[in-house]
Amino acid sequence: MATSTSEYQHDEPSSPALAPWERFSRWLHCVCIVVFDLELGQAIEDVYPAEAELSTSEKRNICYLSFPDSNSAAMGDTQFHFRIRSDRRLELDSSEVLVDRDSPAVLKPDIAHYYGFVYFRQEKDSTSKRGYMQKSVVLLSRLPYVKFFSVISKTVAEGYFEHGMVSIESSCHDIDQWRLPIPGRTLQLPISGKVLQIRIPSKKDKPGAVSSPEVYGQAIPAVTIVSSVQDVDSFSCLQPVLPHLNVLWELVLVGEPIVVMASTPDICATTVQALINMIKPLKYASDFRPYFTIHDNEFKEYTTKTQAPPSIILGVTNPYFAKTLQHWPHVLVVDSCSNPGLSSTIKRTKNLKGLTTLDTTPGLYTKYLPTMKEDKFIIRRLLKQVPPGTRPQEAQNAMLTRHFLEQTQSFIIPLERYITTLMPLQKNISPWKSAPNLKPFDVEEFIRSLNKAGPQLTSDIKGNWQTLYRKFFKSPNFDGWLRSRQAEILEALQLRQIEMMGAADITAYIKGKAEVEIVDLILRLKDKLVNIKCNNSNVSISEVTRHRLTEHLIFVVSILPPDLQGILKNI
Amino acid sequence: MAVREIKLCLLGDAGVGKSSLVLRFVCDTFNACSESTIGASFMSKTIEVNEQSYKYQIWDTAGQEKYRGLAPMYYRGAAAAIVVFDITREESFHTLKDWVKELQQLGPPNLVMAIAGNKSDLDEMREVSSHDARTFADSVDALFAETSALTAKNVLELFVEIS
Repeated sequence: MATSTSEYQHDEPSSPALAPWERFSRWLHCVCIVVFDLELGQAIEDVYPAEAELSTSEKRNICYLSFPDSNSAAMGDTQFHFRIRSDRRLELDSSEVLVDRDSPAVLKPDIAHYYGFVYFRQEKDSTSKRGYMQKSVVLLSRLPYVKFFSVISKTVAEGYFEHGMVSIESSCHDIDQWRLPIPGRTLQLPISGKVLQIRIPSKKDKPGAVSSPEVYGQAIPAVTIVSSVQDVDSFSCLQPVLPHLNVLWELVLVGEPIVVMASTPDICATTVQALINMIKPLKYASDFRPYFTIHDNEFKEYTTKTQAPPSIILGVTNPYFAKTLQHWPHVLVVDSCSNPGLSSTIKRTKNLKGLTTLDTTPGLYTKYLPTMKEDKFIIRRLLKQVPPGTRPQEAQNAMLTRHFLEQTQSFIIPLERYITTLMPLQKNISPWKSAPNLKPFDVEEFIRSLNKAGPQLTSDIKGNWQTLYRKFFKSPNFDGWLRSRQAEILEALQLRQIEMMGAADITAYIKGKAEVEIVDLILRLKDKLVNIKCNNSNVSISEVTRHRLTEHLIFVVSILPPDLQGILKNI
Repeated sequence: MAVREIKLCLLGDAGVGKSSLVLRFVCDTFNACSESTIGASFMSKTIEVNEQSYKYQIWDTAGQEKYRGLAPMYYRGAAAAIVVFDITREESFHTLKDWVKELQQLGPPNLVMAIAGNKSDLDEMREVSSHDARTFADSVDALFAETSALTAKNVLELFVEIS
């Protein structure tokens, strides 16, 4: 007779049953069908689930960003992504906060933006006045899982173009059965008759560890493995500007305004993502728009000439931008049809004159004087293939990703080391007082520490690291990094203090204390316990500590006079 | 030990008990008022037969007419299909014949087909005889069993036989 073990999708250990659409909403906000109508222009034809909220300005943005904005007679399908401001900020509930803590900074849900994953189809249609049909299926999500959602969006869109809305309904229902995207999990996600396997990276992963899912037993043909949630084909996009990779890394790191010009939205979106990915594990903290059009709500704000360009990265395809953004300090022109052999001969242009159309030769147009020297080694390694062009794209991408990951790590290590020196000493943490704060980040003190322990120890690239750090300190990327590190450290200190409180000798502490001090202690203990219970604080407390705190509370209350005990019960 | 994955899909008229059969097989429970399926629902279960592990990827398709067209997404690449009818509703047996025909024409070439006459616990209301169903199953080279998701009769046996 057969023995059996079962696992079914509704099983979600440690979390109660979720309401309809709750699982779905952790992955996607909604799916939009956007159509180009001759009379109406772009219009949202359908939204699923129908109750998903979208503001008028969000809808407007989605409409324009869901189509290539330069005319193209090319038939067929194109996939790309965009990013827009969301009018409603995402509010994480307590369980989501806990999940969020373990997520690498670059993969956290974006609380102020939506990502739109577009699958655009253009095909001949004799019934239409234009002679062809243009339609896009757009997946909106808070999650920056660019690679993963490009796979999902293809599946969902192909189902839609074959079977219509009933297929969208069915795909969304599949997604509503998915397990939650909890960091560190390898998930098998059923959709439209297929099962995809993906591993959600965790902050606890070793840096540079391959994020592809572990395959248990032998390779399973019935499951499609998605190798990464976010990595894109960086090599193909950046190939035309290989000699300038280090300058690009620097520009992204210090938050310089960059505009990426390409002939199609897929190339510009992938290139913007490739740039952002260059400074992983650092999170690019400014705004970035993988695909930006002249109809965008922020068009005026971002292209005004009355003030310096903001610290953002824009991806554009409309030739009009070549004029509008002429005053931008850094313009990266990429194109898919560029000749790979050309890449090593491109010169960096020092002025933008003549950059009026998008037919411009691929290259980086900038007056920026890099602080670091070019790393010829990685370029040579990328180009050295025997025979040429034989190394698979994935290998090239992996090499590129790994190189910049290591370079960024070298840059971050001194910062990490320095920030730990700002922590209060263990002996200064008292079980009975709130945890002390961190000392402020002192730029000069940090710069002085570089001589002894700078990135020159772990990185091969040469140049003036001090200047690079000073530029970095002025960028939103530094603010973002510092704020998140400070928050993490404070949380750890709080946790330490609560644990010490639990372990402390309460009898000794309250000896000789006045009644009012004891009442104050009771209130503090209650406050800590309530916080732990509601998970309001981000701190995860062990059962042992919680138990001890409860014992403390019972003990302290018991030594008070009975009338006071009665009053305290009601607080 | 290597696990063999089997993609399996369930097809059949609305209300014949496809989801209930899956629920009985996967969780060994029964829900008398289960809701109708949207699109398809997915469940998986691993069983061991003669020291070999089989992991079933079960696509339980919706029986409602409006989802009819989606079925190819679910039987595409499937190793096995269970086509279900309700022994108390003759009409569902006719629908089953249409499904079998579609699978023969458009389904994967080496598909293992099984026919399940469900609700065998309601014998007194029977409209389709065992004999007719079995004769049909033999004629199309399909496995056949009369099952009851309510009493669990033949459910596990049917799934095991497919492996």
